[in-house]
Amino acid sequence: MSYNFTRRGLLAGTAAAAGMALIPQRGFAADELVAATFGGTWANVQKQVLAPYFTKRSGATVVQSPMLATEQIAKLTAAKGGQVPFDVAMLDEGPALEAIDAGLIAPYDAAKSPNFVILHPQFKGEYGPAITMQAIGIAYNPKTVKTPPMSWADLWKPEYKGRVGITSLASTLGLAFLLDINRLEGGNEASMDKAFAKLKTLLPNLAAVSANFGAHGALFQQGEIDIGVQNFNFAEELKAKGVPIEFVRVSTGTPAWKTTMHVVKGALKPDLAYAYIDSQLAPEVQSAMQKSPWNVIPTSSKVPYEGLVASKIAKDPADLDKMVFFDWKKVNQGRAAWTQQFNREIRL
Amino acid sequence: MKGAATAQAQEWRLALPLALFFALFFVAPLLLLIWISFQADRQMTGSLGLAQYAAFLADRLNLQVLIDTLLLGAKATLLCLIGGYPLAWLYTRVSARLQALLIFLIILPIITSVVVRTFAWIVILGRRGMVNEAIMALGLSSQPLHLLFSETGIVIVLTQVQMPLMVLPLITALQRIDPNLTSASLALGAGAWRTFFKITLPLSLPGVIAGIILAYTACVSAFVTQSLIGGSRLLYMPMLIFQQAMDLQNWPFAAAASMLFTISVLLIVGLLVALSRSRAARLYG
Repeated sequence: MSYNFTRRGLLAGTAAAAGMALIPQRGFAADELVAATFGGTWANVQKQVLAPYFTKRSGATVVQSPMLATEQIAKLTAAKGGQVPFDVAMLDEGPALEAIDAGLIAPYDAAKSPNFVILHPQFKGEYGPAITMQAIGIAYNPKTVKTPPMSWADLWKPEYKGRVGITSLASTLGLAFLLDINRLEGGNEASMDKAFAKLKTLLPNLAAVSANFGAHGALFQQGEIDIGVQNFNFAEELKAKGVPIEFVRVSTGTPAWKTTMHVVKGALKPDLAYAYIDSQLAPEVQSAMQKSPWNVIPTSSKVPYEGLVASKIAKDPADLDKMVFFDWKKVNQGRAAWTQQFNREIRL
Repeated sequence: MKGAATAQAQEWRLALPLALFFALFFVAPLLLLIWISFQADRQMTGSLGLAQYAAFLADRLNLQVLIDTLLLGAKATLLCLIGGYPLAWLYTRVSARLQALLIFLIILPIITSVVVRTFAWIVILGRRGMVNEAIMALGLSSQPLHLLFSETGIVIVLTQVQMPLMVLPLITALQRIDPNLTSASLALGAGAWRTFFKITLPLSLPGVIAGIILAYTACVSAFVTQSLIGGSRLLYMPMLIFQQAMDLQNWPFAAAASMLFTISVLLIVGLLVALSRSRAARLYG
């Protein structure tokens, strides 16, 4: 066998190889949806419960790409005027408002989503349904923390010097914690000065301020922190895996927010996007997700609250209304300044 | 012969594909970045100006972060040099078989994923990590040391991670030195140390400077290591830029911060290159 390299042939081959790399990969599979998801618990539960259900229902496959809410907004903004990088966005309340303001997501057409009408009324959004509520509280290591904490004030106890963990404002967890401290100190979303003054007194107790939510979770597992703020779902998932961790709600009211799903404006496969979001609203999917270790709070009226959700969070949707909510519109306005202030105040 | 000369004169055209690639995927995005950095407001409405640069420079926190980042790189690079030079020297002195083993160990940090590597370091440096367990078992300290979420921790990890970038150029430089020169120096009565400082070290300087440039630029921009090992209470330029670009969607400010960061690092690299040129001129010129 002989290879005959010619200049032209080589050049054409190289150009072809380079060209192949440039073709967007999603162009090939006709029945493939690209959807954003969150990291951690969400990536797991949507892969194991939602993806198979969606495939059975629509015959299409889905690529679930774990991304922070802010990352999704950045990618959609960058793609404005061109092909969108994914068709379904998954966002927390604050980022969702930003995405709506920036014109990145489309109004949700309830007619294309049969499961939308059976949601509890507070979860029907004009731009997309809430797929769950996220509730936060204190997680602690029962081996090292003998008296269960009751309120945020317990994090300030001298015996927890160098053992407390919180996250930066990049995650909604850190932001909601700071907002709640601010509320309890008598402030509101217009100014966070009261929260920052209080946070400064927590510094001696802090073992770690994680840059993001993912890094925060690992700290409990490694015994790096013994007590700190945490999401209900995430703490319970760790506990189910055998990590010594307990989750408690704080006595001053549980800060919570909605997590929503949206069809991206300019979606390449809008029908699949609707089918996917509607699958997430299906009673079968939501009741499967409510089981341990996921404990995802359902939003469909056809799924009664059970298990840990019922015993630890809410017996019925009316209980959810008693939680602590924030004005995310105002939060979005203040976030840039607060991030800078946070950098300044907690810096070593 | 004329044909060969023409062919030689046209050889530069071989570099065209790569040049085109760079123009498309490096120069063009860089120009875009510069363009964005001159946007006066966050929404990028098109009015241009130096507002973002002024905003960056007006806040002392930003300047402190820039200085901290440049110093962090200097500390880690210095440790890379101190640890890497003997390693490179050793490499040039051992048998070919040992060399193969050494080179594998040297490049090992590059071939493991940065995320895996960093999480491994979290386990090693943690409060209940290997290092602290050993220190406490030996009775050197009754309390676990604060290695994670400290600058010391970041410097330790960066030194390990970027070591190959220092050692590889050093090996090349040390291998090029004619062994007769050291022998001559020793034969003429200079001691081992004097020979090292008068002969080996000056001749290996191009490698030292190349290693410093590579390790330094990698250290200052190591986003994953800095944020995972350092946490949020230590802020460096890559994280500051990420915060502005991704969390806050303030691209013009992030672009201006990136430009100032790039310029600072380029100045340091330029200084080192100038240093190596003047050195080389004195040695070989």
